[in-house]
Amino acid sequence: MCGVCGIVSYGGPPDLALLHRMMARLGHRGPDGNGYYRDRRAALGHTRLAIIDSSGGAQPLCNEDGTLWVTFNGEIFNYIELGEELRHRGHTFRTASDTEVIVHAWEEWGEECFSRFNGQWAIALWDSGAEQLVLSRDRLGVRPLFFTRLPKCLLFASEVKSIFAEPSVERAFDPAGLDQTFTYWSPVAPRTVFRGIEQLEPGHYAVLDRDGFRKAPYWRITFPDRGREPMQDAQENAEALRERVIEATRLRFLRSDVPVGAYLSGGLDSSVTAAVIARYTDAPLRTFSLRFSDSEFDEGQYQKKMSAMLGTQHQDIVVSPSDIAAVFPEVVRHTETPILRAAPAPLFLLSKLVRENGYKVVVTGEGADEVLAGYDLFREARVRLFWSRDPGSAKRTRAAELLYPWMARSPARIPAFARSFFGRHLDPGDPALSHRPRWDSTSVIKTMLTADLQDGIGRADAEDVVAAMPPGSEHWDPLSRGQWLEMTTLLAGYILASQGDRMLMANSVEGRFPFLDREVVDFANALPARHKLFGLEEKYLLKRAFADLVPDDIIHRPKQPYRAPDAASFFAADRPAWFDEVMSERAIAAAGVFEPSVVAGLLAKCRRTGGENMSNTDNMRVLAVVSTQLTHESFIAEGGRRTLEWVLPDPSVAVDLVTDDWSMT
Amino acid sequence: MDRDIVEQVLRDYGSLRRLDTDPELEAVRATILLEDVFEVVLSDAEIDPAVLADASAVAALVARLRGTA
Repeated sequence: MCGVCGIVSYGGPPDLALLHRMMARLGHRGPDGNGYYRDRRAALGHTRLAIIDSSGGAQPLCNEDGTLWVTFNGEIFNYIELGEELRHRGHTFRTASDTEVIVHAWEEWGEECFSRFNGQWAIALWDSGAEQLVLSRDRLGVRPLFFTRLPKCLLFASEVKSIFAEPSVERAFDPAGLDQTFTYWSPVAPRTVFRGIEQLEPGHYAVLDRDGFRKAPYWRITFPDRGREPMQDAQENAEALRERVIEATRLRFLRSDVPVGAYLSGGLDSSVTAAVIARYTDAPLRTFSLRFSDSEFDEGQYQKKMSAMLGTQHQDIVVSPSDIAAVFPEVVRHTETPILRAAPAPLFLLSKLVRENGYKVVVTGEGADEVLAGYDLFREARVRLFWSRDPGSAKRTRAAELLYPWMARSPARIPAFARSFFGRHLDPGDPALSHRPRWDSTSVIKTMLTADLQDGIGRADAEDVVAAMPPGSEHWDPLSRGQWLEMTTLLAGYILASQGDRMLMANSVEGRFPFLDREVVDFANALPARHKLFGLEEKYLLKRAFADLVPDDIIHRPKQPYRAPDAASFFAADRPAWFDEVMSERAIAAAGVFEPSVVAGLLAKCRRTGGENMSNTDNMRVLAVVSTQLTHESFIAEGGRRTLEWVLPDPSVAVDLVTDDWSMT
Repeated sequence: MDRDIVEQVLRDYGSLRRLDTDPELEAVRATILLEDVFEVVLSDAEIDPAVLADASAVAALVARLRGTA
């Protein structure tokens, strides 16, 4: 895992000082080394977190004749197999790194190489002869890749703060990006919350050359038509899923030259990956967990049970609301976008614990809920459809109790709840039926926006996520349509970004996600929906596949979404001074996103309760305002907090063809 | 959907049945599964704990609703 950046100039040679500033802003992503390449058209920068081939994998790295250069963030987990194939085809390798495989794979297969990669990546290739830049991002968006197109150059980087090293880049919110954030929880690629800053869509590559700039997908999220799934036998599918998850986990645990740890949340997914490592590898396993001082959020008993069962060396960190408040500005400087939950903050503290214990790679269970249908949202959609077949039925109305067992204690409330929850925006033919309740409740945030911003949103030509669903998706199972929406919006934009890459890389830790392995995802997407969500039993096939490795009470415990204290983190008596500064009427007005009087009303409400027992909507509203203000302060406001620039060590690759300086160590 | 799949689904459902919950609620749970997998719609009278707790009765009900009985 690393930081990548670069410049393609349309005029004179790229500015090397700018490239160095861009690299310095990515020091946290790669503290183990750095390097750069420059010729008269392009410059590539790299900050390195050394994981594979520590001695030979320095970047940027080139082909035999020095005409093709790569800067790469991530891992190609099948690099050994691809390397063997490329050697048979006559390619000569100088290193044992996965990076060099990319160079030769591009030479051999061109853009088709990306569909051969099994991994997580953001790649920039520069062909100096053809004067062609190629950018590529992994299938589901594990690794970030941003760019901006200026009149004089194109800049790209792993993080937006690196692009902002160029003073001429505009610093302003994009109304459409904010609109998406306050609907889907994050901007949807290619959009970001910053005007003029784009992110390459997951599963895509982009080319910039003499013919201009263009993008294309090399992979798409797709599902078979309902009833035409190729594999119908549940037991055979459970065995096949098990094989794939085991192989994906082994690849991610073993293909590293440094020790790999594992997260253990207490839920099914990370229990499966940790159990697979313990059962199918010989190496000792170190596990790390997040706990909360508030018992409402804590899963400590399950974590302890699983680590004891597996015999891992286990360590946890207990996070309190004041811990969240203390690190929140730093968290938002890493998310580089507003977040509607405080949940990334504890994950920031967890990756810090990992790093302090000498680990820089962890395997986690991320992605299982999207790929194998674990979220309540999928269950809710199924119940809503069930209810819609006869809304007047007293028996169907009781389905609400299956989603929310606490309702059984207040049966009189059920019919009214069912009508308001199941019945709202309920159109059985709506391809986004699964997501309307979430989008609807999130959009309440937009009632707080200033009139100017609302006008800006109205004028923006924002992409319609639902309209972008693939042709033929109307023949998919409704669950598959929900999975497509979830993978396209929340997974890439929030789970893997604000909660994933950014919180891990903030402390120079690489996350590896077996459930997002190419073979696992392609296999899972082809399954009959009933093998994922069997009635209301979520992740049915995963539970069946690993029933022997995970204790019954973890397999059958009710799904507990990962959550952290939200508004309550910011209204304790000992809250840090930054909060009152960024939430002051002056600061709210300066940012221009939220109406100061409305925010004042929300804050008064929170102060009355200390932020406790707030509704889900109010919690989201508080987090939206706080994180948007911090985003503004960190990246847009004049004289805002300065972006940290690392003092980078001497580069291990320093190739400047403009001055004819070469140095590679 | 062939007969093998129908039998497999009913077998798998049988292993998941929760005996410690309210029978009427368990019948609702079963109905959600049956309607989703077999693309049928049960009437309120058919969402009957006595029928839905009996594998052969469920098989007969599904066959009738799918017009394959």
